[in-house]
Amino acid sequence: MLNRKTPPIQAHNGHIEVKEAQEIMLPNGIKLLTINAGTQEVSRTEFIFNAGTRFQKKVLTSRGAITMLTEGTATLSSMQIAEQFDFYGSYVEQTADRDFGGLTLFSLNKFLPQSLELVEKVLKTPTYPEKEIQTYRVKGKQTLQVELGKVSTLVRQKFFDTIFGANHPYGEFAQPEDYDKVEQADLLDFQQKHISSTGCTIFLAGKISDAEVALIEKLFGQETWGKPHQTDFSLPSLPQTFEQKQWVEKADAVQSAIRVGRRMFPRTHPDFPGMAVLNTILGGYFGSRLMKNLREDKGYTYGVSSGLAPLRESGFWVAGAEVGSEFTLPALEQIYLEINRLRTELIPNEELSLVRNYLLGEALRTFDGPFATAETITSLYEYNDLDYSFLHNMLHTIHNITSKELMELANKYLNPNDLIECVAGSVSNI
Amino acid sequence: MIAIEKFTLDNGLRVLVHTDNSTPIVSFNMLYNVGSRDEEPDKTGFAHLFEHLMFGGSINIPSFDEPLERVGAENNAFTSNDITNYYITVPKPNLETAFWMESDRMLSLAFSKKSLDTQKKVVVEEFNQRYLNQPYGDVWLLLRPLAYKHHPYQWPTIGKSVDHIKNATLDYVKEFFFKHYAPNNAILCVAGPVSKEEIYQLSNKWFGPIERRDVIARNLPKEPTQTEPRRLEVVRDVPYDAIYKAFHMCNRNHPDFHTYDLMSDLLSNGRSARLFQRLVKELGLFSDVNAFITGDIDDGLFVITGRLVKGTTFEQGEAAIDEELGLLTSEPISEYELEKVKNKFESNFTFGETSPLDKAMNLCFFELVSQAEDINQEVVKYRSVSAQRVMEVANELFRPENSSTLLIKAKN
Repeated sequence: MLNRKTPPIQAHNGHIEVKEAQEIMLPNGIKLLTINAGTQEVSRTEFIFNAGTRFQKKVLTSRGAITMLTEGTATLSSMQIAEQFDFYGSYVEQTADRDFGGLTLFSLNKFLPQSLELVEKVLKTPTYPEKEIQTYRVKGKQTLQVELGKVSTLVRQKFFDTIFGANHPYGEFAQPEDYDKVEQADLLDFQQKHISSTGCTIFLAGKISDAEVALIEKLFGQETWGKPHQTDFSLPSLPQTFEQKQWVEKADAVQSAIRVGRRMFPRTHPDFPGMAVLNTILGGYFGSRLMKNLREDKGYTYGVSSGLAPLRESGFWVAGAEVGSEFTLPALEQIYLEINRLRTELIPNEELSLVRNYLLGEALRTFDGPFATAETITSLYEYNDLDYSFLHNMLHTIHNITSKELMELANKYLNPNDLIECVAGSVSNI
Repeated sequence: MIAIEKFTLDNGLRVLVHTDNSTPIVSFNMLYNVGSRDEEPDKTGFAHLFEHLMFGGSINIPSFDEPLERVGAENNAFTSNDITNYYITVPKPNLETAFWMESDRMLSLAFSKKSLDTQKKVVVEEFNQRYLNQPYGDVWLLLRPLAYKHHPYQWPTIGKSVDHIKNATLDYVKEFFFKHYAPNNAILCVAGPVSKEEIYQLSNKWFGPIERRDVIARNLPKEPTQTEPRRLEVVRDVPYDAIYKAFHMCNRNHPDFHTYDLMSDLLSNGRSARLFQRLVKELGLFSDVNAFITGDIDDGLFVITGRLVKGTTFEQGEAAIDEELGLLTSEPISEYELEKVKNKFESNFTFGETSPLDKAMNLCFFELVSQAEDINQEVVKYRSVSAQRVMEVANELFRPENSSTLLIKAKN
């Protein structure tokens, strides 16, 4: 008779092999990283630049310059560029975050040469035609208006505005009218200074060979391109005092969006790995304390979670949920209750061992296939200067951190007196 | 080419195995042949509520998530109009834990009152979050009943209203379980560094003892042919006016299915696609426009959606859409353009084959619709679509009497 009450023997999940990318220095100084893995004849080529919003002088310049790279070049119109990428079945993703900006190409290997030649044109000779800028203004403004109808957007803006300050690049958000002020001259200036071979890193992953590497070198690695730019931009100082409770009115909202959190540190900080474990216990996985309490026990919300996120020179920790309006106050109470339990009660061994195993599984998943591996190494490049010891430290901490150390971290970083509370919803009815 | 091995247990459970040794993780996917189309009209949203209850503990195991998290696994599920799909990704050495857990909840649930009461509240919040508390959230609550008058696709997976969810009883939960959850109504796929022999042995050990159940053959009303255009205009608190148009199309097994799908790609897949280039960039009438098929197993919908730029009237917007659709009915598309959307399809499809979990989900779905092996014929089927057939199908599809149009008017 099959015993269904007892779990099958739990095995060790196996050694986690931290895959390292190969590094090649190209003649013009660009660093090329490569990962050769996978079974399908496809590849992912990422171009990373020091071109995040922190380098812009005016809101939307970084995002506009990067998003509109594909809207026209010296020889091709926006339509021709779109047409050619689509014909090869390739797609490009452009991203502009706070610190970095860039472009990622996904392509079948059989069309990689043609696709990369197109990428070369859009990176080196974009023209930002006025007509395309006008479309971008209208479309961008409308999309943002729709987003501003969501409580989750309102609360996110308020949270970052509070912890970093509305005038700091880490706290700044575009408003709809900012789209009207996007100008060609600013975009060109930004592109020339920041989309350049100085400070550019290229990351090629997939089923690749020497031919693909040679192709990258030929198209991007010989002469320098773009203007040399200054990378040691200093950021304005951060606010030292906060209004702790920030409530934003959204009339008739049936749910409130809640965020409780604070400014934290970059990923290079020695407490980062420990805080990552602590965060998982509180709200970092489906079985977390916040999920168990607010969703599985009380049904206040469809989902609640917390996260620890890095920025190049700072970071933040935040817990959040969208809850039925009538549950706003009780949900906040339970969030603080769970935070305070971490500060006053030792985490039981049973729970800690579950989280260790869960996180080791997650660590394995970050190397599940060539593209997952590439994303892991990209973030290591962006936030740890490609220092692989960060990943080893993370694994070491997952294996060894104690309940006592976690309680110390909770007291050091999660004191409610240091936390900011933002709510967007039908505030006047709560 | 995806290598597939398969076998069927004595109790009717179909098992698919795909070996992929390039990953340390095994993807374990269980598809149940039940969706919101199987609900009674006064108990809608139940298949999806039921999916939540599948995580509330089974007959021998009080918690579903915890034992999986303890071995480093991750799991989730989704419900559609046609199916309910549960998936687990687990490090290879602990694969058996997935078999243990998934087989116990097929054997029987715990049927806990507390779990039902809580999940009803959770689903009500999901309804609020996704359908009510954001701009344009209720579109499918309006568009489905406009397009379907008889077939159960007339309600979305979340259900017609929260009242149906609030009224669910434990007795009905039990009835639903034994009616639809059975080895002979499910398909399992295991993909990753595994062999057919080990999956055969584990499947027999854990699922083999579960008895076959009486599953009544599905007998759904066929949606009668629509004979006149349908229109609905509503006012909502949204920033911009929006247009939604739905046309009835064929089912998933129909030979024209791929032609419809490619036609939606012609209109809106990629930045060079017709609707985006013409209506957004050239004419500047819309800020956003889309065309897609619902991809349902029974006769589905071909949908066009667009958000109007301030200053564009509904008449101008609709006329522009109609003109683009008209081009498909009157002029054969060029070989170049056809080649383009076929390349695009092949690329999307190949990228979809890079993730073991996606492969496992797709294999189960193909096995349900026809047979898993057909997944390897998809590219060939799309490649064989002709320009002539696209025009014929467009003429069949884009007739006013086959359309349901929903206009959302911005309050201010």
